[in-house]
Amino acid sequence: MAAEAIALEVDSIEKSFGGVPVLHSISFTVPSGHVTALAGENGAGKSTLMKIISGQIKSDAGAIKLFGTILEQGDPIVARRSGVSIVPQELSPYPDLSIYENLFIGREIKNRFGFLNHVEMQKKATQMLEIFGLELNPKIKMNRLSVAITQLVEITKATSWGAKILLLDEPTSAIPDREVDQLYKVVRTLREQDVAMIYTTHRMVEIQELADSVVVFRDGNLALDVSISQADESTIIRSMVGRDLEKLVSAKMNTNTRQKISISNLQVDKKSQPISFDIAEGEILGLGGLIGAGRTEIVEAIFGTRAARGGLITIDGIQIATGSPAKSIGAGIAFVPEDRKGAGLVLSMSVVDNASLPHIRKFSRSGWVDFGVRNSAISKVVESVNLRSRGLSQLVGTLSGGNQQKIVLARWLTQSVNLLILDEPTRGVDVGARGEIYSIIRKLAEDGMSVLLVSSDMPELIGMSHRVLVIRSGVITGEMTRDELNQEDAQVRIFEHASGQLAEDTNVKK
Amino acid sequence: MLKNNTSALGNLEEIEKVSWNKERVTNLLVRNSMVFVLLIVIGYFSFKNDGFLTLPNLRTILIASAPFALITLGQTLVILTGGIDLSVGSVIALATMTSAKFVVTNPNQFWFAIGLGIFVGLIAGIINGLVVAYLNVTPFVTTLGMLTIASGLAYAIGNGAPINGLPERWGNIANTKFLGFQSPVFVMIAGFIIIGVIMTRTSFGLRIYAVGGNRVAAEVAGVNSRRILIYVYAISGTLAGLSGVILSSRVISGPPNLGSGYELSAIAAVVIGGASLMGGRGKIWGSFLGLLLIQTLNNGLDILIIPAYWQRVISGVLIISAVTVDMWATKRSSK
Repeated sequence: MAAEAIALEVDSIEKSFGGVPVLHSISFTVPSGHVTALAGENGAGKSTLMKIISGQIKSDAGAIKLFGTILEQGDPIVARRSGVSIVPQELSPYPDLSIYENLFIGREIKNRFGFLNHVEMQKKATQMLEIFGLELNPKIKMNRLSVAITQLVEITKATSWGAKILLLDEPTSAIPDREVDQLYKVVRTLREQDVAMIYTTHRMVEIQELADSVVVFRDGNLALDVSISQADESTIIRSMVGRDLEKLVSAKMNTNTRQKISISNLQVDKKSQPISFDIAEGEILGLGGLIGAGRTEIVEAIFGTRAARGGLITIDGIQIATGSPAKSIGAGIAFVPEDRKGAGLVLSMSVVDNASLPHIRKFSRSGWVDFGVRNSAISKVVESVNLRSRGLSQLVGTLSGGNQQKIVLARWLTQSVNLLILDEPTRGVDVGARGEIYSIIRKLAEDGMSVLLVSSDMPELIGMSHRVLVIRSGVITGEMTRDELNQEDAQVRIFEHASGQLAEDTNVKK
Repeated sequence: MLKNNTSALGNLEEIEKVSWNKERVTNLLVRNSMVFVLLIVIGYFSFKNDGFLTLPNLRTILIASAPFALITLGQTLVILTGGIDLSVGSVIALATMTSAKFVVTNPNQFWFAIGLGIFVGLIAGIINGLVVAYLNVTPFVTTLGMLTIASGLAYAIGNGAPINGLPERWGNIANTKFLGFQSPVFVMIAGFIIIGVIMTRTSFGLRIYAVGGNRVAAEVAGVNSRRILIYVYAISGTLAGLSGVILSSRVISGPPNLGSGYELSAIAAVVIGGASLMGGRGKIWGSFLGLLLIQTLNNGLDILIIPAYWQRVISGVLIISAVTVDMWATKRSSK
């Protein structure tokens, strides 16, 4: 290992924003052909470091050295010319242009008259994609590709500039598990080409799978820097959160609780089959399945953000008015959507404004907001979820993902809730906040709230649910009780139901 | 940092106690840049001309601002939802012509004529709102269409000519003076206070910010975003209708091109006042300052006998600079 050239050296980098230190004297190195996993909770300073290395911002002190030469900071063009490329978490392709146009933007191949040479660019694009085993027609428009493929095209684009150092910022956060393998392949190909990589991630599997070494940040400090052979899962998690990850234990449920919520013949759209299921008081009912199985559509139809074709919902035997979020909220249904930034929060508004939005009428007298009532109610609930903010008036856009999610959850708790619908409640949430969100959900269920949990995170689904329904193509293909979930093979069985590998597939409650 | 501690609704205790350091002062200057720019402009003109900082000239500035005040208010609400209302200038003309035509033929139905002008604005606004909310046509296109329709109707009402011979009494609406100020000045101030209070103190105001900030998230939180949009365009139309009545009273006639181009002045005031055309961000107070700044500048340049075409050049530079400073300030505070 020692013989390898040091491609990137981060030397005593320090950075603070508005007087708040974000990085404290960070130093580590990455040799050529080496993948360094960079782990840490949200807000630990990972993205800041990535931005410094790629020239988007300048550090306050310290140096970035590329092959021993100090990089002039704060200029993305200089960084790129020196061999640094970044694939950001939020991709920004040109959706209406084709793959080859995306690949060649900024360095188009021209013929001798100065016009674009499309044929040549297409040929080159095909070759570039083939290196990574991507057999794509370069003339396809970017907006027709899945997020996973888009990302691979972006990696192709980033490395085809001759990058010696590639920064991948949470590359798997937005892509489904079954498409991760292709990303792994690409990363391995790049490693063979001697590219040095920093790969930020929350997922332990990926670290074990890909990394040669692990660097962990905690609150802007370097908490761990070891080779992968010395880093097992618990070591990494301990350095990230400074404590052991508690084992998931589902909430206690009274076995003879009565049925509370009944959903019958819910038809999501014209083509789908109607589905029916019940949820007991204090029960956490998990909805498992592959991404795209129609789980989000089902919960959106229940809540009313999606217009259902038909179906009845009863709470305590009484049919409720459905069809719009306002009606559902009135009936005591709460919804934590999958897309926190897109559908959960208004990022330009404050904590208190966001938290009071669903029940603003309850804090108002004939339209006039009672600030005292509102602020004290919201203070109480955000405290109950252990929100860490600079105050109720902080803009939610400036909070970490975990804290944002706590607001999306907490804002329902100012009133009594009959059914809490959670769609991927811990996606993009750091480990520490994740544990806290689990205990909040568990406590709510123990207090009698019925919970419908959609989750693609297997340990979360199995660990939290009292019962799991598995969905495939909008249909319930399996049901697993708590006892079955406790079996060793629970994960395998859920996967079998979800992917349609079981011969005796039946619609459980049809 | 200061911006991070603001809420769409007011009355929040500052939890974070930051000492008065250099950065904070800079931020304060940046965030309230419009106040300082206005003070500098006033200072400059006062220095250049003794007639500027006098009560009669203040009256002149305020009465010149008044016709734009109501449509600036409506425009602020529409822009806060992420939309734009290009139709207000033409709606002024349509309301003017409707009221004038009616009051000329029915001089006794004075109050009904006023109500009719306002009602015409309301209808135009509701149509804008329905098209935007239910047909999902972009606000730019919808209100551009309404601009053309309303303007055409305004000309049709007078068969292409202005309406004259309005009763003397019609002129009393906008030319009556209290404490030396004409009534539109009071309408303007009342309008800014009322809408300002609505935006900061009511659930309706909060919902406007929510719909503009993130329509999907607002809907998930139970906000009926279509209803909010319809209300907002209806308010903008109604205020344009009222503006039309006031303006026709000022000139005691019905010219079919009255209000033409006013929408751009209103949009300029809102943008200079710091609202984001993307929606969700902006203050009524900011739009008021934006309006005053434009009018003060025009007035001062008039006094210095700068030709009107150069005033337009200066106004244009001001719009671009204001937005540039605002973007810079936003970037700075979001770091």
